[in-house]
Amino acid sequence: MPLSGVISPSCIYACTRFRVRRTSLLPREEYLRIMQMSTPGVITHLSRRGYGQEIGDLSHDHAGARLIEKAVNRNLALSFQHAIAITPGDLKILSGEYLARWDIANVMAILRGTVHNIPRERVRDLLIPAGEIGSAQLDHLLTLTTCEGVLDALEDWRLYPILGEYHRICREKGAFARIENELYREYYSGLLSPGIARCSGCQEMNAYLRFEIDFTNMRNLLRIHCAEEACDIAVIDQTMIPGGRIPIETFRRLFGARTEEEFISIFLQTTIVPVLAEAVRELRQDPDFSSTDAAELVWQRWHQYRRPIHEVEMAVTRIRLHELDALSRRHPFSVLPVLAYLERKKYEVANLRAIARGKAFGLAPERIWQYIVL
Amino acid sequence: MAAEEIKPTRSGLLLVRRRLVLAERVHRLLSMKLDGMMLELIKLAEQAARERRTLEEKYVGAREMAAIAAMMEGATGVLLAALSVETVPTYTAGHRNIFGVRLPELKPVMVKKTLNQRGYGILGTSSVIDDTADAYEDLLEAIITAAELEGGVRQLLDDIEKTRRRVNALEFKVIPELTERRRFIERQRDEMERQEAVRLRRIKKIKAKRGTGF
Repeated sequence: MPLSGVISPSCIYACTRFRVRRTSLLPREEYLRIMQMSTPGVITHLSRRGYGQEIGDLSHDHAGARLIEKAVNRNLALSFQHAIAITPGDLKILSGEYLARWDIANVMAILRGTVHNIPRERVRDLLIPAGEIGSAQLDHLLTLTTCEGVLDALEDWRLYPILGEYHRICREKGAFARIENELYREYYSGLLSPGIARCSGCQEMNAYLRFEIDFTNMRNLLRIHCAEEACDIAVIDQTMIPGGRIPIETFRRLFGARTEEEFISIFLQTTIVPVLAEAVRELRQDPDFSSTDAAELVWQRWHQYRRPIHEVEMAVTRIRLHELDALSRRHPFSVLPVLAYLERKKYEVANLRAIARGKAFGLAPERIWQYIVL
Repeated sequence: MAAEEIKPTRSGLLLVRRRLVLAERVHRLLSMKLDGMMLELIKLAEQAARERRTLEEKYVGAREMAAIAAMMEGATGVLLAALSVETVPTYTAGHRNIFGVRLPELKPVMVKKTLNQRGYGILGTSSVIDDTADAYEDLLEAIITAAELEGGVRQLLDDIEKTRRRVNALEFKVIPELTERRRFIERQRDEMERQEAVRLRRIKKIKAKRGTGF
């Protein structure tokens, strides 16, 4: 990515391609139509809407919701690998950093499969090669029989330094959870400072990511609070992601808050509240739902040792994506159209998966619709 | 020695009487045990039915949570979290004694786990995975509790059946047979006594006749 103000033709070309790709994603009306279809109908429809190749390849071995999920996952992996291939220069670095999330999931699945002696085909089935580590390398990792062997083979991976530290204790109980947490912390730190001095849209992207970090931290704080080991303040330090707008100290204070007033006054100072209030307003169709109501809602969940409401989480994701779309339109030749496409594609796949799985479990369409991100 | 084989003698009568007293005492005790077991069965069956209802509710809840988790994280995400389990949940089997019946006692081991014990990283998963894990842990606990209660009910039913057969055998076979045998021996002994009296009287008469003839 060149310095702001000077945009290279390759960047303009790549951003335009991503904007065009963004328009090829399924629109709202199509989801409404798919919701009315049966599972075989959805498969037929998707095979005409860009998923034909994957559905054709997998239909011999899978059927129903499983076929849809496998096909959309494979399509996602191909789309993301293609995205990395077509992005030039710094955009490639940023895309690689962003897609490292998939690599983490794949590496952790392989490590766990190796240590717990899970059949390789079963582990292979769970991998989505949507990151920088391609299918060939993942297949090679699957042939290795020891945890140490897998770690050695990952020496060239950008997050290897984290794995190196756990080289000797990878067979210990609870080590994988610690490795996974460390990898994600490093992932976010890499995303926020990708080694690029200045880039167009980076500031906005960072703001977007920092909110994601804040929201993830708040969500995880509620999760930790529900768990039995909640009393241990050290757990917060190990699981909070640094780099968000809300300092970790605020989460510590929230964790230590014992009264409603104290909790609400701290929580109202965070940037999560307005977005949360907007999400609940949209979800409940209640225009009077204020920031204080949102803070009280969180306090109620906190006080009752309950986890976040999934529908609210989805509503927050919807709002964030709308903001990202608006930003990508405001900065058309920046990293934002790429990020917007990658996020939208991720949620298109998640939506199709949600519809397929929801239908397979016989959930009501209205219920399924709450988990759709548009 | 069967009741029929006992000779109609005084010692035979004493033996039958002793056996009858013993049979009646055993019958009374077994009847009381049966009543106690029935009361325990009713209590246990009610508990088992309640647990079964809870189990069904939890099963429905767990399946719904699994559906939501599969919708939000995909089956792949759920399986990846499941792959992280480091300690397999299990149970220990013991027993408790109710009226001499060994009822199973199952204790869950490592079924309810903390966030750390589950093995997955908190940053790589979402709260829906926690909720699903919670739902399935609750379901597993309910299965173990229901299995303990239903196993107890089955064991108790088997023992009630055995005890009822014993009570019925005592009530309708052993005691009536012994009573009948006692009556028979008493009648026989009465008859023998009468015969002896008649014989003695006859001998006395014969002796008296011989005495007058000389």
